[in-house]
Amino acid sequence: MEKYVVEAFAEPACEHNSVNQAHKGCVQPTPGAASGGCSFDGAQITLLPIVDAAHLVHGPIACGGNSWEARGSLSSGSYLYQYGLTTDLKEQDIIFGGEQKLRGAIREIADRFSPPAIFVYSTCVTALIGVDLDSICKSESKVIGIPVIPVNSPGFVGSKNMGNRLAGNALMDHVIGTDTPPIETPFDINLIGEYNIAGEMWDIKELFDQVGIRILANITGDGRFHKIRWAHKAKLNMLVCSRALINMARKMEEKYDIPYFEGSFYGAKETTLSLLTISYMLNNQELMKKVRAFTKAQEEKLAFDLTKFRKKLLGKRAILYTGGVKSWSIISALQELGIEVVGVGTNKSTMDDIERIKERIGESAKLIESGGASKILETFRNEKADIIIAGGRNMYVALKEQIPFLDVNQERHHAYAGYVGLKRLAEQLVYALEHPIWELLQSPSPWKEVGKE
Amino acid sequence: MTIVKLDKKLAINPLKVSQTLGGVLALQGLFRAIPLVHGSQGCAAFIKALMTQHYREPVSIQTTALQEMNIIFGGERSTIEAMETILNKHHPSLMAVLSTGLTETAGDDLIGTIKNYLKTNEPNCFIFPVALPDFEGSLESGFQLTVEAMIRGLVEQQKFTLPMKKKQNQINLLAGSFLTAGDVMEIKKIIQSFGFSVITAPDISTSLTGSLQKGFSPLSQGGATREQLQGLFESEMTIVVGTSLEKSAQMLEAAAGIPYRLFPSLTGLKANDEFFSFLQSLSGKKGDSFYQWERDNLLDCILDSHFYFSGKKIVIGLEPDHLFSIVNVCKELGGTIDGLVSSFSAKVLSNMEEDIFIGDLDDLETMADNADLWISNSHGEKGADRKNVAFLPIGFPIFHQIGSSLFTSVGYRGTTNLIIKMSNLLM
Repeated sequence: MEKYVVEAFAEPACEHNSVNQAHKGCVQPTPGAASGGCSFDGAQITLLPIVDAAHLVHGPIACGGNSWEARGSLSSGSYLYQYGLTTDLKEQDIIFGGEQKLRGAIREIADRFSPPAIFVYSTCVTALIGVDLDSICKSESKVIGIPVIPVNSPGFVGSKNMGNRLAGNALMDHVIGTDTPPIETPFDINLIGEYNIAGEMWDIKELFDQVGIRILANITGDGRFHKIRWAHKAKLNMLVCSRALINMARKMEEKYDIPYFEGSFYGAKETTLSLLTISYMLNNQELMKKVRAFTKAQEEKLAFDLTKFRKKLLGKRAILYTGGVKSWSIISALQELGIEVVGVGTNKSTMDDIERIKERIGESAKLIESGGASKILETFRNEKADIIIAGGRNMYVALKEQIPFLDVNQERHHAYAGYVGLKRLAEQLVYALEHPIWELLQSPSPWKEVGKE
Repeated sequence: MTIVKLDKKLAINPLKVSQTLGGVLALQGLFRAIPLVHGSQGCAAFIKALMTQHYREPVSIQTTALQEMNIIFGGERSTIEAMETILNKHHPSLMAVLSTGLTETAGDDLIGTIKNYLKTNEPNCFIFPVALPDFEGSLESGFQLTVEAMIRGLVEQQKFTLPMKKKQNQINLLAGSFLTAGDVMEIKKIIQSFGFSVITAPDISTSLTGSLQKGFSPLSQGGATREQLQGLFESEMTIVVGTSLEKSAQMLEAAAGIPYRLFPSLTGLKANDEFFSFLQSLSGKKGDSFYQWERDNLLDCILDSHFYFSGKKIVIGLEPDHLFSIVNVCKELGGTIDGLVSSFSAKVLSNMEEDIFIGDLDDLETMADNADLWISNSHGEKGADRKNVAFLPIGFPIFHQIGSSLFTSVGYRGTTNLIIKMSNLLM
């Protein structure tokens, strides 16, 4: 396992490892003042959206039992990914190494579900007792005749980001390049880092369909295993708001000569830019023409649809504190709606992300580097903001303080990507800000009145 | 009456969660408290995310955020660093350091670490360690072990002042982990209505019910205070609801000579008749006539709904105490128990007439072929759908529902609430 982690740490495209950062690697969490998930969590975020595969967690109950069914990746047909599968190790299993149990579990999954592949996740406990996941997966794969893929990303090697990256490595090492698509077109691209939360991938696909761009492989939102196998045949990779998987894009460029770019679908501007970039990078005149006409029409229509929302949102002040969905891309979307972003959480942002945030909001806005909930509230008050836009983890922090809130993380229920997504975002922001509850909260209770007399 | 432990290599759709989660829940019922989860940061993050989804309240929790090297060289330094960071930043009144499968496997001596720390430091905070490996037990046992560790710690602190003079009419309530915040509130109200004052520890009814208290704190807001915890030793009686907490009551009895009475369940007519009779004889009072109305309403509700239960097959997957409680009420309603799964082998299960499988929700699914009603936590929803069986989500976790922590199924009125829910699903 060691070698995987060392390799992921040394990712040259990660700026923590640039020459002037002296290879200090990722920041270590502070005991007693840490928040956020572990590498196992990160690996599952990246791989679970492969909906037709089986995902087996090798460890005691905490890792699988406390986490399954908690994510918002949607599927258009296969539902095996929703099964919580774990070896549920007991004390005796741990003493004896857990190997027989793992082999039995893999075979049972193959018998019962006949999946196209089984992903097996190591956890802290199995890594600690030295389970050789690679060799077990390899020999079991031969026995059952389907790919069994080791995911060496136990929680204690680092943060969620590290887990995303290790999951990307697992796909590179064991999946991508193992099959070829029946047909190829000059318009084949992969989306990397798009997990189809609330169905956002479907809105993006709809846009692509209208201009003739084909998604060869979704990595991994609403993903299918067989398609990811032939992802190396794409003409272009788009990394969707996720630097965490940059290693994958870079390796595919190196190994398969596929160029990549980073883009976003939050906001009309970013959506248009992403579509245009795809057409330029695919270098097809016809496509460029189509995309220009299409995006122009979409933007015009959207501008009309947004008028009534913009009136209500103009000048409203927002604090943005997101995890996975990158702050900079949401900022653009909010600015298009007339909202002023007066504070941004950067605890999970890379240095590049922070530069992009500054480009968009200027130097005056507050960057919230760490400190979690109390820092968010402090910034909210100091900046006299109107709404907090964050992940579900912080939802009740805001609501307890009687502050309007919008969820933009992985548990969110609304899809905000593309032109139609921006309209939904505007709608939800207006709902959040104008809800009657904010007035109800101000009405004095009968007891309070009696007390005054 | 058999407890069947299935020797399975693969758990499919687990019913249980980690013991550590039960420990974290217990700490939410103590005022200005924080559980420190000794493990990698995911151990705490998953618990926080899951509990936030269920309770729709902020959850107090921190982590020692172990990384690989910390484990290899021993987690002691991370534990102390984390404790001091929390003590200096947030000044909690109570802190429990909860171990995980990771630190138990690594052989980390958490109890020794805390003991040594407290020898040389005197923080103004009640700190106690709890061993909660997740390779055994589930939520209920984690909650149970944490309450026991808390009482052990309190006894240790109080050993020079015990036994204390008893306060007339003061009663301890030890409320099991299967009770919702609304349940605990209802039980307190019933006991109080007989003229008693009640100390509940832990008390999630004032912390996980949704107060409008402002002013953010990473510590728990609401729950039993430290003064109330000391008061546990001055009560004249302990009422235990849920067999899992019986040992805790025995510890109070041994340390301070406080007798206890166990009620394995407070759902159903007979369970509540027994409870009210007990309170009547203890207080020498008849109790509020209001409850007579509630009892009439309950019986009337059973009369109205009994058609819908007769011959209906019910499958249930719940933690042990909860399973016992719900099975009892289903039998009073005339339903047929057609399959039972629980998360681990606990004492309460061995007193039951039915066969109980220690397993997962996939086991329950195989029993649900001909079922009419499926009762489990929300993880069972998809299985019930696949079998086309009506589904009642109770227990933990519950997704996609508002108010799970306020829903009350204890007392006469609470039982009526539950029957209404079940009948409407069966009708």
